[in-house]
Amino acid sequence: MTATHTPATGSRRDRLTRRWLATAGVLAAAVYLVPVYWMVVTSLKAGDAVFRVPPDLVPLPPTVESYTRAVFSDPDIARGLANSAVIAVGTTVLTLLIALPAAYGLAKFKVRGIGAVMMLMLIVQMVPSVNLALPMFVLFSGAGLVDSYAGLIIANCALAVPLAVTILRPYFLSVPEEVVEAAKMDGCSELASFVRIALPVSVPGIVTVAVVSFLGAWGEFVFGLSLATSEGIQPVTIVLAEITNEFGVRWNDLMAVSAVVALPVIAAFVFLQRYIVAGLTDGATKA
Amino acid sequence: MAVAVPPRADAPPRPVPTGRGRGRARRLLAPLLFTAPAVLFVGATVVYPLLYSVLQSFFDIGLREVVQGGAQWVGLDNYADQFARPRFWDSFGVSVVYTVASVALTFAIGLGLALLLRRPFRGRDVLRALILVAWVLPTVVSANVWRWLLDGSYGLLNAMLRALGLIDGDLFWLGRPGAAVAAVVFATAWSFAPFAMILLAAGLEGIPKRLYEAARIDGASPWRQFRHITLPQLRPVSLAALLLVFIYTFKNFDTIFLMTAGGPGGATATLPVYAYNEAFEFSRFDTASVATTVLMIVPIALSLFYFRALRKERDA
Repeated sequence: MTATHTPATGSRRDRLTRRWLATAGVLAAAVYLVPVYWMVVTSLKAGDAVFRVPPDLVPLPPTVESYTRAVFSDPDIARGLANSAVIAVGTTVLTLLIALPAAYGLAKFKVRGIGAVMMLMLIVQMVPSVNLALPMFVLFSGAGLVDSYAGLIIANCALAVPLAVTILRPYFLSVPEEVVEAAKMDGCSELASFVRIALPVSVPGIVTVAVVSFLGAWGEFVFGLSLATSEGIQPVTIVLAEITNEFGVRWNDLMAVSAVVALPVIAAFVFLQRYIVAGLTDGATKA
Repeated sequence: MAVAVPPRADAPPRPVPTGRGRGRARRLLAPLLFTAPAVLFVGATVVYPLLYSVLQSFFDIGLREVVQGGAQWVGLDNYADQFARPRFWDSFGVSVVYTVASVALTFAIGLGLALLLRRPFRGRDVLRALILVAWVLPTVVSANVWRWLLDGSYGLLNAMLRALGLIDGDLFWLGRPGAAVAAVVFATAWSFAPFAMILLAAGLEGIPKRLYEAARIDGASPWRQFRHITLPQLRPVSLAALLLVFIYTFKNFDTIFLMTAGGPGGATATLPVYAYNEAFEFSRFDTASVATTVLMIVPIALSLFYFRALRKERDA
């Protein structure tokens, strides 16, 4: 690329400004991520190195003993991770099952009441989790759903389904009407044209919703706190919050567990970043 | 994006069934079958519990009534009880201070980041994505990291402040009322600013380039361009970002519960924390419902206003 490609940006001064802005951008991002860096660094320090004043900015020599001690040899953490995986996968599957047809229906059929349904889907996303957790605890107590995977999955889906519908609807809106009509002419039923035509072209939207639902349930805290009263069912977020007091000042161990809890989120981000960025902002802004 | 299946021109069109009554019923049946599960689900898991909770606020409900039933109708007694309590109004005040301060800081940081990462350069999108990690990090994780960063004796923040000569000795941020509020505000802004950044960055993209070109020809300084083009052009997106961040912050529970649990001495006990403690610490599900009902009115009123405005703008 040469300067002739974009003549407006060719001047020396402009290039210099650009370089300054880029440097400032990199610095800002670096400062912004100091907490994440500090979590990883601390998790790689040996016990006494944590209490050095002033602190070492790099763990020398790095050690994984916090991971082996606090994460891999602790059955509570392993169970918490397994519980979180079950809850997050369950939430993702149930959310897709409910939200996919609904988003398609709200995009493709021209009937009255669609505006009202979309408004409902948007507004329920603004409801504080605490507002749901309290009555859910009372209602679930009566239904035997407290302290069960089913109860936690349902609670997570209460927030995930409306978000999923708002993210998915624009994808189905952009499926050309003629294609769906042509398929129906060919004898496709409403269901078949949904499954064979609308779903395949909306894969990016489906991936976005799957990732957002999974991560939402993975990091969820309020429902786990109020609806999972016994240890056997608690998601890892609750296990982590509870061992916090127990660990006291073993910050390296606490940071190791935190890093493991954060890992799926960071991994998902690295590999599926473009899907997530769209999903995180679309739900709220594309009414 | 490519269209998956091209319409087949060679296939003869099938006759569409035209029986009036049946056709109409069938036309309505399909939309109903597709959307009913989601509507019923949201009705059962969100709308019904919310109404139930509002109803609870008119009954006398402790743990015994939750287990055995038989709650007594007490009318507005719970509201009278709560509204007469200084602690309720204290937490309402804490909520307002916490929300306003967090929203202001979130917006300022988000706008700063959006402006810094506005001009394209190699690696810019990666930086944006990295910053967004702060937003999707589970709150348990970020709250623990903040507690460690803010630790009075060995925390990184105090080490830096000591190096700069600003403090000497230990400072326990989460143990002092004022400092604890500042700490939770800062932690909240750190988590929410990337969200504001993404919304504002999209808004910046939408500003027509020719406005800046014209201003440059007129000799306007970068500051004047920012003041007279960027800020006014960004107004609609800014309003949306402010409103959404306000709602998210006002209802935020995790950050505070995990960092301070509302302490010290209730200094950071926002309404959600207050409501949670009423219900699960003191088993007062009735007065907790009063708090959550008040808590719910603000975001719902604001979001109704927001989505109405959004529609009006789009329809215009």
